[in-house]
Amino acid sequence: MKKLLTTILVAGSCLLGGAAAQAGKSGGTLSFLVQPEPPTLASYVSTSGPIGLVMPKVYEGLFDYDNDGTMVPILAESYDMSADGKTVTFKLRKGVKWHDGKPFTSADVKFTVMDVLKKVHPRGPNSFREVSSIDTPDAHTAVFNLKKPAPYMMRSFSAYESPMVPKHLLEGKDIKDAPLKNKPVGTGPFKFVEWKKGQYIRLDKNKDYWQEGLPYLDRIVGRFIPDASTRTAAMENGEVLYAAYNAIPNIDAVRLKDRKDIDVTTDGYSMINPMALIEFNTKEGAFVDPAIRRAISTAIDRRFMIDTIFFGYGKPATSALSSNFKATNLHASMPNYPEKGDKAAANAILDKAGYKKDGNGVRLKAVLDIIPYGEDWRRAGEYLKQAMGDIGIQLELRYEDVPTWLKRVYHRYDFEMNVNYFYQLPDPVLGVHRHYGTDQIRKGTHFVNSSRYSNPKLDALLDSGAGEPDAAKRTAKYKEIQQILAEDMPVVNLFELEFLVVYNTKLKGVYGSAMGAYGSFREGYLDD
Amino acid sequence: MVDFWKRYRRNRAAVFGLVVIILIIIMALTASLFYPNDPFRLMGKPLSGPLTNGFLLGSDSLGRDVASGIVHGAKTSLLIGFVATIVSVFIGIFFGAFAGYFGGRIDDILMRVTEIFQTIPSFIFAILLVAIMKPSIVSIVIAIAVVSWPGVARLVRGEFLALKNREFVQACHTLGMSDFRIMLREILPNCLSPIIVVGSLMVATAILIESGLAFLGLGDPNIMSWGFLIGAGRTMLRSAWWVCTFPGVAILITVLAINLIGEGLNDALNPRLKERQ
Repeated sequence: MKKLLTTILVAGSCLLGGAAAQAGKSGGTLSFLVQPEPPTLASYVSTSGPIGLVMPKVYEGLFDYDNDGTMVPILAESYDMSADGKTVTFKLRKGVKWHDGKPFTSADVKFTVMDVLKKVHPRGPNSFREVSSIDTPDAHTAVFNLKKPAPYMMRSFSAYESPMVPKHLLEGKDIKDAPLKNKPVGTGPFKFVEWKKGQYIRLDKNKDYWQEGLPYLDRIVGRFIPDASTRTAAMENGEVLYAAYNAIPNIDAVRLKDRKDIDVTTDGYSMINPMALIEFNTKEGAFVDPAIRRAISTAIDRRFMIDTIFFGYGKPATSALSSNFKATNLHASMPNYPEKGDKAAANAILDKAGYKKDGNGVRLKAVLDIIPYGEDWRRAGEYLKQAMGDIGIQLELRYEDVPTWLKRVYHRYDFEMNVNYFYQLPDPVLGVHRHYGTDQIRKGTHFVNSSRYSNPKLDALLDSGAGEPDAAKRTAKYKEIQQILAEDMPVVNLFELEFLVVYNTKLKGVYGSAMGAYGSFREGYLDD
Repeated sequence: MVDFWKRYRRNRAAVFGLVVIILIIIMALTASLFYPNDPFRLMGKPLSGPLTNGFLLGSDSLGRDVASGIVHGAKTSLLIGFVATIVSVFIGIFFGAFAGYFGGRIDDILMRVTEIFQTIPSFIFAILLVAIMKPSIVSIVIAIAVVSWPGVARLVRGEFLALKNREFVQACHTLGMSDFRIMLREILPNCLSPIIVVGSLMVATAILIESGLAFLGLGDPNIMSWGFLIGAGRTMLRSAWWVCTFPGVAILITVLAINLIGEGLNDALNPRLKERQ
């Protein structure tokens, strides 16, 4: 009876809260597409895309960012940076509880940053590289002590980038393999309920969410539908209401856009800044010589890939950095990145480097691994196989499932050439350094320097460029970085992806966050 | 042989099927004459319709020639169909012959094993095998063979059970012939006709399984096949119908032709029909 009463009270307060916020309608289930199925739910260990679609609804970060880049307080209410930029004090929100009822405190923040993100997260060691220690004077204050000012760190507190995880469930355990990885316990608007392998992940409303009235939705279901045309059909008949990260192929998105109940946007990816690329194994196999990698970059018709495979959504890469960094004056166009590809020049590079064609026009053979994230990437692989064949590089294609592919590339380094895409994020320190730094050769960590490229000169530049307060000097340093990388090409950038969100117009309130699909959806609601 | 052909010829549909298959085999063998380029090669404007931009049957999303893919893919589809069938017929004969001839404990064990395979839905089992082994032409042949032999095994066992007590077999025993020799030389030739009929139909099933696997993205990514073409085109079925349709028609015709041949062989080899003449 008592339990029933509390339920009614809670439900009542939710309704009141909803009315007070005066935005959304409570109730309803949101089904959205998660493609492909995530390998685990440990967003503090892997930044793999599908994990990012699900987990920011369960775990929260200290801040969120809106579409203009303004910080929105979530688990932190405010922060204060000292004049020298070396001390950042966070005031944490009071009355926040983990889904298991334990209170969220500054000890969780300290543990998350120092013992989890800095150690096992793919990007954490970079984002928090300058954090030497965290003081916790009381349960709701966390003081970050930095070795050097790190303004870029303030861009990495979202739930996707730096999820706050419960200390009491991870401490003393093998962090990469603790039970929490598939039974997440967060502070977020939705609680993890069930993961039916091959079908769906179900999250239910967190009735004790710290912000009264939120979330509006009763339930979020992340559906896994392996077949692209079935996904499109599910979107068309309203079975799913939201699909991001090209879960609906561009060819269908272009067609669905004309429907009254479905719309398409490229918003929600500005913090992500995705770049399609090829990683090379620079230590063994066919591509140890940088000349071959330069030739490959020179031969690729980037415009063709964008126009035919991604239906015009994308921009050809012109350097190791995305052109989105032009805003901060860090991007500089480099040689070896012809937009339409120059096969004659590529052949000349290979001839000069002494790779002779045999009777069949083959200079060397290799295997091309392809990111198993859908049809578009297969087409990209098939295109590359053809393009490389023209310059005498005979490729064999290999598709595997996500866990096998991740193990091959990031655990065993058992690959030669791998089509992939990386997020360059809002600052090169967060998204780009991890490709190239010697300290980023981290066996078993996903989406870092799998090329095992190591260049002390570059390391020094990356290091000094990261914390350089003077804008002009920083520009000069990054220009030199891009020059070295255009010469050595441990990674060949292909094009800047422009992802789409395809959504049913019935779904409202989930488009305000710069994190897009990697947001919490706490303000999402259904308006019939 | 002449006799056989006379009987086969009576079934007009079967003759038609045979002609079609021979044409397809010729097409597969001469693929490189008509389309000397690699079928994966980007030949022109992507998603051109049939009879436009120099494409007989249109081009796919990357500008590959669908007609070239069909001609070259015929080789793969037929090869996989025949090789997988031969492998599974051999496995089936082995299991069936031993189970039928020796009976008793051996029969029990072999048939239970066969039943285990029969209870697993064959296409799903094939998907599983290919996914585990990583998609390649060898793993696809293995997967198809592994899921299709139980039918042959049961058939062969039945024939062996029926034949092993016949007088000619007993005569062989009295002459002191070894068991293997009796199985191989005496019984097996007498039950070849049903095996041939079943085998011919299995070729069609094998082609369908291969296409199904490729359709689901489990084909060998480096080898052109009809299933690959359909798989590559299915996401754009509604905006570029030709990419899927023509290879689909090719599969339909081939499978139909093989079925007609199977029917004809059945008529020609069926002993009861022989007596009626």
